[in-house]
Amino acid sequence: MKYLNQVITVTRWEYRRFFKPKNELLGLSIMLLVSIVSYFGGKYAFSGSSEKSDLIVSQNLDCKLTERLLIDFKLHEVPAEQKSTIIETISNEKKGILLFNNGNVFTIHAYKDSKVLKNLRTILDEYQRLQKMQDIELSQADLDNILSPPTIIESFVYSKNSQRRVLLTYFFAGLMIMAVLLSFAYQFTAITGEKQLKITEQIVSAISPQVWMDGKIFGITLTGISSMFTYSLLGIIGGILFFQFTGAPVSTIINYLHLPSILLFLPFALTGILIWNALLAAIASIITDPNNSGKSSLMMLPLVFVIASFTVTRDPDSALSVFLSWFPFTSATAMPMRWAITEVEIWKLAGSFFVLIVTFYLLRILAAKIFRVSILISGKEPSWNQIFKLMKES
Amino acid sequence: MKDLHSKPILKVNSLSKSFVNVQAVSNISFTIEQGDIFAFLGPNGAGKTTTLRILLDIIQADSGQIEWNLIGGKNSLPFAEQIGYLPEERGLYTDIPIIRSLVYLASIRGMDPSKARVAAMEWLERLGLADRSKEKLQALSKGNQQKIQFIASILHKPIFAILDEPFSGLDPLNQEKFIEYIKEINKQGATILLSAHQMALVEKIANKVFLINNGKEVYNGSLSSIYDLFGKKHVIDLLFKTPAPDNIFQTLSQVESMDRVDDYRVRITFMQETDLKKVLSELARIEDIINLTSHRPDLHDIFLQLVKTHNQ
Repeated sequence: MKYLNQVITVTRWEYRRFFKPKNELLGLSIMLLVSIVSYFGGKYAFSGSSEKSDLIVSQNLDCKLTERLLIDFKLHEVPAEQKSTIIETISNEKKGILLFNNGNVFTIHAYKDSKVLKNLRTILDEYQRLQKMQDIELSQADLDNILSPPTIIESFVYSKNSQRRVLLTYFFAGLMIMAVLLSFAYQFTAITGEKQLKITEQIVSAISPQVWMDGKIFGITLTGISSMFTYSLLGIIGGILFFQFTGAPVSTIINYLHLPSILLFLPFALTGILIWNALLAAIASIITDPNNSGKSSLMMLPLVFVIASFTVTRDPDSALSVFLSWFPFTSATAMPMRWAITEVEIWKLAGSFFVLIVTFYLLRILAAKIFRVSILISGKEPSWNQIFKLMKES
Repeated sequence: MKDLHSKPILKVNSLSKSFVNVQAVSNISFTIEQGDIFAFLGPNGAGKTTTLRILLDIIQADSGQIEWNLIGGKNSLPFAEQIGYLPEERGLYTDIPIIRSLVYLASIRGMDPSKARVAAMEWLERLGLADRSKEKLQALSKGNQQKIQFIASILHKPIFAILDEPFSGLDPLNQEKFIEYIKEINKQGATILLSAHQMALVEKIANKVFLINNGKEVYNGSLSSIYDLFGKKHVIDLLFKTPAPDNIFQTLSQVESMDRVDDYRVRITFMQETDLKKVLSELARIEDIINLTSHRPDLHDIFLQLVKTHNQ
């Protein structure tokens, strides 16, 4: 009970130290502002481009093509003799587009390539295709018939690998990456900062290294999860608003919130974050000066494993995927991903989760042991060999 | 009073600890009884802080036994609420309001946070820092930070307080105040183990002294008996008009040691059985002495003498 009370006290302290609702709100407000500016800015930019551009064309252009061009362009017809004068004007004034044709060959003159030219090319392609269809007396209906895809009726025995499940796994993996990155920053500040401020001795004279380490792991995990929760909520609300703006019903996004998947992914993600926090805490324990430590790069290790677990999506039933879904440093994301794409028995899910729990239990003990031996080391940073030697001696 | 000083609260037996090539603590033993103010004295690097860290299980001894007469857990270490610790390496959260840090440090030692807040405000009031309770530690001067550190170590009303160099970084006025605070918490029932260099201050509060040098015990006993054993000698301080001559030692008899305080001042320690009349007549023959003071050796003198002898 004493252990539990102390862990709760340290957890609460770490959580309150790093999770600052004011800062979180400020971050969200900035994000919201940026989104609003991007949305309306984009709209404004598009509205500006809807104006018809000037296009100079030769007088002998086919009338069908002229009619089509008139929809998107303001046309100016000129005799063929003026071609070289216009090209010179384009070069001097750095604007204007000239379109000439010689039979089926079209020539475009412009100062530089642009979006307007892309549109012009599409119109010319379309015109050319229609001309060729007419040459072989092919109607539009015949062409549509030729190009229509075959009718295929699919039937699967296992059909639970819905898109919403897969999307949710990506969503949770993304959140895990975010939580790991946040933990990376917090653990660094929490552990190396306390070492530099020389608070450690005061703390460990009151509580055991295990309590201290557990409190840090839980407190910082909670901080990461709180941020994850805030941003997820923002993502969902943002998504709903986006769908509203684009005219789609709210149910489009709510459909993606597949409850069984969430119930499975949450414990996996939580335990995964705890594991990474335990490992990050162990690494941070031996870093005396974060600015000059070679071990700082090790803190990015979790990210590599989380990203590696994405390979499961290529072939969820391969030996590598099966391994990744059991290996505790990747299984928190890899197993839910496999479950979303392929058939995974319940016992395998439970087994993988059990391995995760055991790994976390052992890692936190290891982290506390590393912390205990490196607690009073200042000055030159110890090597891993020294740490393991000290751990053996203790 | 006698009852208060009769129950051993900590027994240390044959404690040793070495680091790579250094024997930090070598086979030391001592007992601290309830109500003691036990001064742990020694020069820099003598092994004081190492011993204190071993007592708190921050580092582990190579050999020896530590027996606490306090309620403890599986590892026989007393529960945190009974122990107060002011580490030699000072440190607190600099970017967090003072009151929050104090409440947290008291609550990890088992104190109820609301009670800790009230007690912290009382202490801050006494130390003239109540109006700065919501400020961050980094806004305070070094001396005031030291006061906060002291509050953090005794706020939860420990039964046993370990104070490593409690007077360092304090001006003389605050040193005197700290002596009063230590006496007060001792009167309220806390046993104190303190390590310090300021002998004049230790003399004012300690009832027992343990002198350690190069990790070894040099003296262990009561403050009164250290004077009985080593304080009966005669110490004469001489002040010269011109730089003190180097050969005074040869012109005087029964000299135990001589220390040159500076160019003009010399401190001479005479043996216990010295005939002062004879010494004074010998001193009268030395020219340029403008001041002469005779006194019994204080703790500082005894400390220097014992360490010197031990090193020899």
